[in-house]
Amino acid sequence: MSSPPSAPSLAKSPLIEVSEVSHEYHNGAGAIPVLKGVSLTVGYNEMAAVMGPSGCGKSTLLSILGLLLVPSRGSYRALGRDLLTLNRSQQAEFRRKCIGFVFQSCNLIENTTVYENLEFPLIYAGVRRSERAPRIRETLSRVNLLHRLHHPSNLLSGGEQQRVAVARALVNRPQIILADEPTGQLDREHSQLVMDHFQQLVEEENIAVVLVTHDPQVAARCHRVYFLEDGLLTSERTLNPLPPHSSLRCNP
Amino acid sequence: MTKLFDILRVSSRQVVRQRRRYFGVILSIALGTAGLIAVSTMSRDVKKNLNQDLELLGGCTLIKAYFEEFLPDRHQSSRVQSFEDRTVEAVRGYPGVDLASLSGVKRGAAASVWRNRTEHYTLFGVDEYFWDVNSFYPAAGTLFGQGEVQGRQKVCVLGAELARRIFGEHDAVGSFISIDRDIFRVVGILGGLGVGDRTQFAFIPLTTALDRIAGMTRDRLYIRCATWDDVEGVADHMESLVSSHQSSDRLRVVFAKEQLKRVKRIVWWVEWFIYLSVLATLVLGGFGIWNGMMSAVQARTREIGLKKAMGAEDGDILAQFLTEALCLSLGSAVIGIGFGRTIMEVIGKLLSSPPQEDLFLRFMMVGLLFALILGIGAGFYPALRASRMEVVKAIRYE
Repeated sequence: MSSPPSAPSLAKSPLIEVSEVSHEYHNGAGAIPVLKGVSLTVGYNEMAAVMGPSGCGKSTLLSILGLLLVPSRGSYRALGRDLLTLNRSQQAEFRRKCIGFVFQSCNLIENTTVYENLEFPLIYAGVRRSERAPRIRETLSRVNLLHRLHHPSNLLSGGEQQRVAVARALVNRPQIILADEPTGQLDREHSQLVMDHFQQLVEEENIAVVLVTHDPQVAARCHRVYFLEDGLLTSERTLNPLPPHSSLRCNP
Repeated sequence: MTKLFDILRVSSRQVVRQRRRYFGVILSIALGTAGLIAVSTMSRDVKKNLNQDLELLGGCTLIKAYFEEFLPDRHQSSRVQSFEDRTVEAVRGYPGVDLASLSGVKRGAAASVWRNRTEHYTLFGVDEYFWDVNSFYPAAGTLFGQGEVQGRQKVCVLGAELARRIFGEHDAVGSFISIDRDIFRVVGILGGLGVGDRTQFAFIPLTTALDRIAGMTRDRLYIRCATWDDVEGVADHMESLVSSHQSSDRLRVVFAKEQLKRVKRIVWWVEWFIYLSVLATLVLGGFGIWNGMMSAVQARTREIGLKKAMGAEDGDILAQFLTEALCLSLGSAVIGIGFGRTIMEVIGKLLSSPPQEDLFLRFMMVGLLFALILGIGAGFYPALRASRMEVVKAIRYE
């Protein structure tokens, strides 16, 4: 794997700011705490990794960051907005315009082609039909999958499916990319390709990437690495200073 | 608008790609719609045809209107009325009337002499429609038609029993007999399921009868209705129809009320049976959509979660699944309309009666409307359930 990105200058305010977030799941026996007062920040042009053992709350944290889950307590601001005050429709709009997801298992939509998988986020974002094809082609070429454009998604290999999932998260040009084990099913070469692409986006596009990983080599390419254990943030390691703050790209 | 078009495109694509899964539903709705269209559009023609075939039931679509010779409370010598031409035309043009025949009967018996033997019988003067109205056909020879009636020819048709009485074993057709003081050529012997006691009567053209037979009047109309549903309406309005053109004094209208009732009851049950079958098929289709969509929502839970994570709103998911249900029901109905049209054409060919386009269009719209209601009714709850799913639960669904 290549070295971490070069050190950018310090930002005025972080893109993502989570403060004292707690969350618990409820079952018949009572509340099961998953996150216990977690606070973290991710700046513009920054890539952050969340590491920790299985069941420590990494995916829950990522779901909260993606507005898929409302935390029991705490605050969450991103792009200068208090996101926990948004209603259901506004949350969907924020996801649509500002967030791209890569899920743990690649989760492509069944009975669709690669093209159609990438088209869905564009449909929901209201992108015109004439603009969709070039954007899909361009995004697929970044993950070396342009030759699979109209291929049925269920006939792709696991690695190809994962790259399609990455491309689908990027096609809408979101400002926040949340990835749960994005390289989990990829070989070294394609892991590097995906991480290179994330790094390029972070450097060029003024975005933030938060990824959950067990792979120290993937984490080594991130500006910040957070370690979670039993719902608590046990340590934070900053590899590079934050880049300068620039204008917002999406307007939720 | 773009989004709506996209949802429609994505939904129809899903239905087409999963057509094997929905095959039973598509078939059920298509057959139901086809049945609805075929039964509703062609039932009148089928009834009409059935009516012609059901003469063995006693001609229950036949109405006889006649002027009574005398009324119990009046003097017997009062003059019998005749149907005037304008009355006959009005009856022929009345809705529900298929055909009407004007005829008369000689007051008192007619007489024929054959080989010095005299036979007395009832003599009818009839027009060219008489045979068709009564569903008579020639048992031998022919039945005289328009040419003979307009030409006032001296030809006659004999009932089979009368022919036997007069001619014995001798072939009656082509023979000449005297009727009162004129000589007539026998052109045919009367046949038909509803002949009844007419087997002992003789029939000559009405025009000839009025010219040559003393005591002949135009006092009876035989009216054939298009279907048994028309009989009571036509019979009820006959008096007012006649009275609007001439006096209806002594007019009597009779039809086979009991037979009609029985036929209508049988047909009512048959019709309801067919309509209930059609309805059951369509409702089964509706349950199929419900079941199909519920299982689709279950099977596609992760897809729903993914789409929501991409930014789809609850309304987008609701619209997608509802549109899929509508594509399924309306698409099936369109196939059913095609089937229905084919069935109509086949029935039309068999009955030699072209399908009525206005009825087809009307029931095509009914079929589509029913499919729309079915699609919304059966698809709404599964779609609502899909739209209300929590994203994280949906994505983690195994």
